[in-house]
Amino acid sequence: MNGTVVKNKEIYTGHFLLSVKLPDSFKTPMPGQFVMLREAGRIDPLLGRPFGVYHFERSGNGAGVVILYKVVGKGTVLLSRLKEGDFVELFGPYGRAFDIYPEAGKVAFICGGIGVAPITYLALHYRRQTVARDVKLVCYYGASKAGNLVGMEKLEEICGKVFISTDDGSAGYQGMITEKFAEDVSSYESGTSRIYACGPRPMLKQLRELLAENPVSCQILMEERMACGVGACLGCTVPLNDVEGIEGYARACIDGPVFNIRDIRWI
Amino acid sequence: MRVDIGGLIIKNPVMTASGTFGYGKEYAPYLDIQRLGAIITKGTSLEPRAGNKPPRIMETPCGMLNAIGLENPGIRAFIKEKLPFFTEFDVPVIVNIFGETIDEFKKLSELLSEAKGVKGLEVNISCPNVKMGGIIFGSDPDMAHAVTKEVRRLTDLPIIIKLTPNVTNICSIAESVEKGGADAVSLINTLTGMSVDIEQRTPHLANVTGGLSGPAIKPIALRMVWQVAKTVKIPVIGVGGIANARDALEFLIVGARAVQVGTANFINPRVTIDIIDGIEEYLKRHNMADVNDLIGALHEEGKTC
Repeated sequence: MNGTVVKNKEIYTGHFLLSVKLPDSFKTPMPGQFVMLREAGRIDPLLGRPFGVYHFERSGNGAGVVILYKVVGKGTVLLSRLKEGDFVELFGPYGRAFDIYPEAGKVAFICGGIGVAPITYLALHYRRQTVARDVKLVCYYGASKAGNLVGMEKLEEICGKVFISTDDGSAGYQGMITEKFAEDVSSYESGTSRIYACGPRPMLKQLRELLAENPVSCQILMEERMACGVGACLGCTVPLNDVEGIEGYARACIDGPVFNIRDIRWI
Repeated sequence: MRVDIGGLIIKNPVMTASGTFGYGKEYAPYLDIQRLGAIITKGTSLEPRAGNKPPRIMETPCGMLNAIGLENPGIRAFIKEKLPFFTEFDVPVIVNIFGETIDEFKKLSELLSEAKGVKGLEVNISCPNVKMGGIIFGSDPDMAHAVTKEVRRLTDLPIIIKLTPNVTNICSIAESVEKGGADAVSLINTLTGMSVDIEQRTPHLANVTGGLSGPAIKPIALRMVWQVAKTVKIPVIGVGGIANARDALEFLIVGARAVQVGTANFINPRVTIDIIDGIEEYLKRHNMADVNDLIGALHEEGKTC
């Protein structure tokens, strides 16, 4: 459906916050779901780009989707040039959402780089669901450098405590955020705790290794190149662990993008 | 808007292209399937296929490369699990079939001839992304003829042969499948291409090469459809880069009896409906009562291929 750009602002170097106004018929995205976004009328770039939702709200006469994105390629460069009043085509919300456990006692959110966007939306959802209870929400956030730790204020507001790491050591722990999380992993117990993560593949793979001995529930959001977003093109497949010796793939767009970390074949 | 595709009468000339519309169900929430001229299903093989390793797709200027590798659940699961969904709609279902050997094509034809709800077969002799079969059959006139003849022998369903553009002379392939008993041809399948990540110095696709589709290939598809429509007597179905009604009209004007919409479905799930509406508006604007009057209506000096 068609949407109108309300705001498209660079909030950190190379990171933009895009607000799109949509008709009221747009369904409320659940945490982990994504939208396919493209500039209206263009055939180059041709395909929509999948973006996790960073924020969503309804006002009197419409719906507003907010996307936090990093400029990386041709598609996002062009996206960054959109001005207030420009039209975009936005389809969704698509995909399988995170499972939410309002009765959980302790929840860890682990994000790397721009993976912070869908994780923030999820954390906010948890905070709202558990507002009357004393639930411990802890966030672990890693980026390449201090300047790329986008949206820290909002995360701190939601979670209270945010552990940070940077590859160059310019803020927090130096190294991957999963190394920081390794110090605490044993405090997350199967049954009462939940772990959620989104970030680069090496980060997710390391998280899987950390959980080798700990059966605590862990859902991750996988980012893949997509074409259709609805399960038809079979382009965004993720390898799954063999079932009865048969190689299998799941579609990130419709079987995911949220997966159980233990179902993924980490090759 | 009705057209006749080798005995199969469809209510309008707009179909979904194989592999771009899943098994119908994926797109059902987003458009009125009932309005489509026909649905061509994802390519189906005799046995299940896992498909190629990811990454399988890459966007390129005005197009995309794909190397899915014909991931599908196999014909038996297709008939049992996927086919019943289509019968809820009054839209003919044409099943795209793929075999690694002529024998596999024969078995597929037999099984589908007995299956309820199948209105036609599209024979894929043009997939560029599999090691065996596919394009090997489609790039040799004798092989293409042999496959067509065997499928013809085993089914009374209308047979559409899907042709590859990755050949020197597409007209000779079209002629040989016409002789083999095809009821129609559809063209073009994707063009073989590739794309490289210069930082990693690796191909963008795990399969290295993939099939190029989207608006980038439309002029090539149009030229080939024009050539083939002048060469064979059987209906030609135009496919390749169609993204709006204007594109579809170009194909009809150069001689396509119907069109298939592929990659454009990914960008706008209801693009086929917009195309049907657009063709109708065009006919009205030109005071044409029958879309068939438009087919092959190109004014040109009788050049052939």
